[in-house]
Amino acid sequence: MENSVSKSNFRKMDSEEKKPRLSAKEFGRQKVLVIISAIYVVYGLIFYYLPLVGWIMAFQNFIYADGITGSKFVGLDKFIFLFSDVKFLRVIRNTFCMGLLNLVFSTIFAIIFALLLNEVRNKWFKKSIQTISYLPHFLSWIIVVSIVHDALTSTGIINDLLMRFHIISEPYPFMAKPAWFWPIVTLSNLWKETGWNAIIYLAAITSIDPALYESASIDGAGRFQRIAYITLPSLRPTILILLLMNVGNVLNAGFELQYLLTNGLVQDWSRTIDIYILEWAMDARNMDYSLGTAAGIFKTVVSISLILIFNSIAKRKGEERLF
Amino acid sequence: MKTKKILSLALASLLVASSVAACNKGGNGGKVTEFTMFAAMAGKEKESDNEIMNLIAEKTGVKVKESWLTGQEAGEAIGSIIASGKLPDFIDGGDGSVTLYENHLLVAWDPYLEKYPNLKEMYTDEEWDKFRMDDGKIYWANVFGNHYKQDTTTGQNGEAFWIQARVLEAYGYPTITSLDEYFDLLEKYAKENPTLPNGTPVIPYTCLCEDWKYYCIENAPMFLDGYPNDGCCIVNIDEGKTNPKVVDYNTTPTAEKYFRKLNEEYNKGAIDPDFAIQTYDEYIAKLSTGAVLGLCDQYWDFAYNIMGPFASELDASDGSKFRLDQLGCDYVPLGLTIEAGMEQQWHTYGDELNQSSGVAVTTSCKNPDLAFEFLSRLLDQDIHDLRFWGIEGQDYLVDENGMYYRDETMRENWKSDSYKAKHTCEYSYMPQWSGISKDGKNYMQPGESPSEFLATLSKPLSDCFTAYGCGNYVDMVGSANVYTTDLPWYPLWSWSNNLSTDTEGGVAWKNMGEVKHKWLPAVVMSKDFDTDWKAYMEAYNAVNPQAFLAEAQAEVDARLATAQANGWTE
Repeated sequence: MENSVSKSNFRKMDSEEKKPRLSAKEFGRQKVLVIISAIYVVYGLIFYYLPLVGWIMAFQNFIYADGITGSKFVGLDKFIFLFSDVKFLRVIRNTFCMGLLNLVFSTIFAIIFALLLNEVRNKWFKKSIQTISYLPHFLSWIIVVSIVHDALTSTGIINDLLMRFHIISEPYPFMAKPAWFWPIVTLSNLWKETGWNAIIYLAAITSIDPALYESASIDGAGRFQRIAYITLPSLRPTILILLLMNVGNVLNAGFELQYLLTNGLVQDWSRTIDIYILEWAMDARNMDYSLGTAAGIFKTVVSISLILIFNSIAKRKGEERLF
Repeated sequence: MKTKKILSLALASLLVASSVAACNKGGNGGKVTEFTMFAAMAGKEKESDNEIMNLIAEKTGVKVKESWLTGQEAGEAIGSIIASGKLPDFIDGGDGSVTLYENHLLVAWDPYLEKYPNLKEMYTDEEWDKFRMDDGKIYWANVFGNHYKQDTTTGQNGEAFWIQARVLEAYGYPTITSLDEYFDLLEKYAKENPTLPNGTPVIPYTCLCEDWKYYCIENAPMFLDGYPNDGCCIVNIDEGKTNPKVVDYNTTPTAEKYFRKLNEEYNKGAIDPDFAIQTYDEYIAKLSTGAVLGLCDQYWDFAYNIMGPFASELDASDGSKFRLDQLGCDYVPLGLTIEAGMEQQWHTYGDELNQSSGVAVTTSCKNPDLAFEFLSRLLDQDIHDLRFWGIEGQDYLVDENGMYYRDETMRENWKSDSYKAKHTCEYSYMPQWSGISKDGKNYMQPGESPSEFLATLSKPLSDCFTAYGCGNYVDMVGSANVYTTDLPWYPLWSWSNNLSTDTEGGVAWKNMGEVKHKWLPAVVMSKDFDTDWKAYMEAYNAVNPQAFLAEAQAEVDARLATAQANGWTE
């Protein structure tokens, strides 16, 4: 309760207050703060901005032994190669769609799960469910993929169950069907991350003023009404901020999961940009760092644009936003 | 606080003491140098206090920690090693070898070849020349299939259609020469013997399609037509060895017939429903149960990994014990052809020189001279014996004629994975010999000693060989007696494995691979073979295989011209 109140007060003050002028005196007064933030600025420059020099490689025919200074410039050749390759366009589609599916479903499921968990009254039960549900987050993908792969083979648990309940008469080759690949990826992500993603929503729910619930139930609101009219609207800012932040990650739809889960039959639907880079730019005989860098630049540019676009939409609609 | 300090002091002194002790162990009065090695292949790690490894370290002053590929492709592993700059001392880069060379990360062998005759002896001058890169130097040496004095091959290390000995035995060892006969037999046996004694249902046939090991499904049409393993195409010599013609085996009538057969068998349920999606690990796990009756693969790719499980005792459902090797689950190779009665070359005679990869010393090695000295010492007969025969008295015995042999316990030990991890140290991707030992009578490798070879065979396997009148695997395959050493371009895969996407043909080659990865399992699983085969052929021709074939033809011609310039004649 205290939290939410102080936060909104703080925001109000922030916008009303005039910006202090930067004078030598002011600077001296904040010396310690300035030094502390300078550390972060320097850190950021070194580790986030300096490596961007490497982007030069995308415009070169980079050879490891010759280095950035010695390699020959080839202009936009690498980008032209990328975008004239049908496979790359397909790869963009896969990455984008899997990223989007993942974003939408993981958000929805995390919220639903958080709401359900919040309604559980037995504390002991609630805690154990929460712990169990976020444990898969700590498993590495290689283990998750082995489980998924094992479950979906012709003798795996899924086919076994379907056959026992006479839903199908012979094993269905889930992993061999291109149409199933995206759902399998989305479901694997849900299985692994829902519990973990729900934590932040649960935390946000606990900070809702209980007085609101009390007065609502006095007014005769049932459980579902309380969820619909109090919990969800209170969660709105959290949901929007998280969505905005994650939109930038859509093109990071994944590497390990798709890479480990794929096979020849579904390759047209399973390859993401990262896998494409690995196969065409880091292959045994084709160490084309330039091509990889070009694809990387493309990813970054698209991600930043997505964030900017959605942020400005949020701004125009008067919603919570990042900046 | 104080207790903590005391504790850490105690721990530190313990550490010092143990490392001093470790140093003392390494004889020669000197200390043992530890090198690292990475091989871009799957392999089994040795325990760090491996007994023979320590013995070799005492003699040579060098101990090598080997690491293997885990869950990546060779190219990616080499790529990340190069990018990270963290190189091992020794490396076998597999397909990534040339990339290592191009990045100037390898040490040239040339000065050391003169210094260490053991190494120089591995190949003739002409053969060494084939290893030379475009700067005229040698950077690696392939270590396999190199026979000392004479060819004593007993195994079929290459590809074949394999079948469990018990299947042949059940029908009185029939002669199987065509695909149709092969699948008929598998189906019949599976119908009559649907489970193993422990209740595991049998799988008549499976086929690996993962990554580059999809050759298991992919290249059979080349062999079925009777050609040797050039790997990327057929080299037709109907017009004479001086006029070789490159032919694409993916589009031949034989290819269509072979895949139609697989499709038919798949729809009959005779092929593992998961064949297209299984990973290599799943494949090996499946074979290890003894349930798979038949498969097409190269021996080295599956056999060593299933020896352990086949030799261990299992519980049958009726409570008794059984062993898969005694049951006759060991595989024998069949040299099938598309029509019965054709000549075939599944087995190729003579040493195959693969100059495209091998063991190399990297520029990160602090003491390359010691590294090369170690490689050379590994070829000394006493150390070679330690590597492949083991310790006298414990791993092998010597009879009155000085011939090495093993008793039953020793043979069992050498099949056991745990024994191998803690006791044996083959340094399997380091220089080694096959053939006759330097003492002139023994064999470099136990597997090539005829008596040892026969003795290591399980009873059903030796019964099977006897029934067909064969002394070993080579006889069993029954390939035509053609020496590929007479073909200057052979094997062409040593070229195609190193193809980069810098050329049109190289791009085509990579794209052809992707198309086949998708379509070959698809046509096998198809409900309408004709339509899908047509679609596959369209997709295949769309990636311009002609560009690749033209470059393959150019390479064959170039290799032929070089050979002719060096005095080769038909």
